Amino acid sequence: MLAGAALVPITALRAAGPTVFSESQRRCLEAFVNRLVPHDEYGPGAVECGVVEYIDRSFSDPLIGGKETLLAGLEAVDAFSRQSHGAPLADLPPETQDTVLIAMENNSAAVFGLIRRLTLEGMFCDPSYGGNRNFAGWDLIRYPGPRLAASPDDQRVGIAIKPVRTSVNGAGRGH
Amino acid sequence: MAINLKPVDVAVIGLGAAGGVAVLPLARAGLKVAGIEAGTWMDPHSFKPDEIYNNVRGLLTSVPKANREIPTFRETPSSPTRPRPAVHPMMNAVGGTSIHYWAQSWRLKAWDFRTVSEVKKRYGASAIPAGSTVEDWPLAYDELEPWYDLVEYEIGVSGKAGNIQGTLDPLGNVFESPRRREYPMPPLRRAGYNDHMDEAAKKLGWKSFPGPAAINSQQYNGRPGCAFHGYCSRGGCHISAKNSTAVTTIPEALKTKNLKIFDRAQVTRIATGADGRVTGVLYIRDKKEYFQPAHVVLVASYTYENSRLLLLSKSKAWPNGLSNRHGQVGKHYFGHWSGSVLALFPQDMNVWYGTPAQATLVDEWADDNFDHSGLGFIGGSSMSAYTEKHPIDAAAMDTFGRAPAWGSGWKKFVRDNACRWTAPYIQTNTFPYENTWLDLDDEVRDPLGDPVCRITSGPKVNEVRATEFTQKKMEQWYLAAGALQVIRRTPANPTVSTHAYGGTRMGDNPETNVVDRRGFSHEAPNLGILGASVMGTSGARNPTLTVQALAWRTADHLAKNWKSIAV
Repeated sequence: MLAGAALVPITALRAAGPTVFSESQRRCLEAFVNRLVPHDEYGPGAVECGVVEYIDRSFSDPLIGGKETLLAGLEAVDAFSRQSHGAPLADLPPETQDTVLIAMENNSAAVFGLIRRLTLEGMFCDPSYGGNRNFAGWDLIRYPGPRLAASPDDQRVGIAIKPVRTSVNGAGRGH
Repeated sequence: MAINLKPVDVAVIGLGAAGGVAVLPLARAGLKVAGIEAGTWMDPHSFKPDEIYNNVRGLLTSVPKANREIPTFRETPSSPTRPRPAVHPMMNAVGGTSIHYWAQSWRLKAWDFRTVSEVKKRYGASAIPAGSTVEDWPLAYDELEPWYDLVEYEIGVSGKAGNIQGTLDPLGNVFESPRRREYPMPPLRRAGYNDHMDEAAKKLGWKSFPGPAAINSQQYNGRPGCAFHGYCSRGGCHISAKNSTAVTTIPEALKTKNLKIFDRAQVTRIATGADGRVTGVLYIRDKKEYFQPAHVVLVASYTYENSRLLLLSKSKAWPNGLSNRHGQVGKHYFGHWSGSVLALFPQDMNVWYGTPAQATLVDEWADDNFDHSGLGFIGGSSMSAYTEKHPIDAAAMDTFGRAPAWGSGWKKFVRDNACRWTAPYIQTNTFPYENTWLDLDDEVRDPLGDPVCRITSGPKVNEVRATEFTQKKMEQWYLAAGALQVIRRTPANPTVSTHAYGGTRMGDNPETNVVDRRGFSHEAPNLGILGASVMGTSGARNPTLTVQALAWRTADHLAKNWKSIAV
């Protein structure tokens, strides 16, 4: 058993309701982001942190651009994965998944860059957007949390700032 | 047909940093002013410490008009036009971009106003950058000083003077040009990081100082001091401690009852008569077109829109666009050069909170503060070590060649170091060039069918050299502060910029300038222009205070010479 958060089955983390992804697209994205930010001794992985939920909710909003690029990109990832390893990304062992990601990083930089950027957003956003679940992202990097005023002590070099763990939009406070 | 409105004395197009200041002296002088603004009032209660909302999605700033009019960019007339950014932070609102800007509130130096003369005198004519169209400003620093002072006290600027009437104070910026008195408020509180960088600068023998900010360091005019909550950049101030025109000059002007604000009103053309004089402004509000007659029009949209609106306002009297008989509208445009440097420290720097104007600055390597003999460039850069960092941005850090870009190795690296890196704000003296201008795009149009502005900007030598020179100084500063590693990135030619200058340059010669030394058109005498579009040099620092001092001065000139200008 790894240190950090307990492993939770991926399916238990899926929100009910409308989604922009097909089942295969979702499996591909889950596998992809969990290699970008794996569950390990440093803490929970991307899916546990709500990254896919963040991306799904983002692209449910018609104002957010990039959905078509992402969906086409996920199809391309699985097509490449099938072609080179005989199975979609989600069905490959982690080491083989990494070789697919490396190939995407080298040959499809735009798609790789988009998924990586969205993963960072989902890991470290305000939790009201669906990511950074249980503030795991903010805990990881020691971000002490949004507050309406910061004291001189909140701005000292080389100290541990006492974190505030609330969402500016209400999440995390039982709302 | 447009709906005709009751005539006013002055129509001001845009109530941002410039127009929002100009309305105050006009209204106080008793002139009836129509403030025509494409955006509307923002509610301070909607300003949130939310990186996704403010910074990732630009939802505070991404009002439709501004984003549908983002200029196109190409390097030369034969190079391809690059894709436009989806969001540009120049904002339509009452208060405009002064709502979410960094509020660094500088005066330019005497040298910035007389660069050509000073460079020729010290280094000879050959030191003027090749291909540059730079001229001395038609006014000297001393002529603008009273207006700087007025604006600093009216809106409220925090800072520490370094030169009061020739008496130097090492606690302030000793390189500044003389000011008549101290700032109205002491500098913003310093963060640990500011002190840390200050000590390092002093070790190098550099005269570091706290930066000036249009942010309250204490209660001022009934509004509170800064809370340093760390969401100032591209976010509005939740307690109105940032002195945008929406909380300073505009409310003051409204108290006179002489200012009427027309919000959500998108100006499409400036109207002119057969004699070429300006007669008023056409705008669209809720799909209806209105004509606002005015004796005088002041254009105070952003740099790109100032040139674009003049070029779009064609008529029989102005076949090439308003005030463009000499083909100077759009010329002498430039975006402010900047240099990227990154530093990795061995301990948590904790720059999360604060505000970008909470900064320790070094001015040793800006302007003409050092001997340029044999260096091959003029100018230099100011360097700012500032606070405010958000978590997504922090984690998106460069891994300094020490870790992969993803996986467990990356995760461990950001766990250790997201708190431990900083980047400075470097601003380089920038000049206008023959290879750089604005005009109308021949393909991309806004939803009304009007062409957007197009930037053409070729390569520069002087700005690259000046920026690279100061990036090395920044590296030296960081290493003196104990940085483990410093990365200097290759300086890039600015594209669509939040520091955009020129296009309607101010100067005495009507063959090379659009407006005269007072800010009025050489060709259309009842048309005034406000904003950085009149500036012929950038200085090595933020433009807004200079824009505001010039705007106040132009408005004051109009009020005092009303009869001769309005006829």
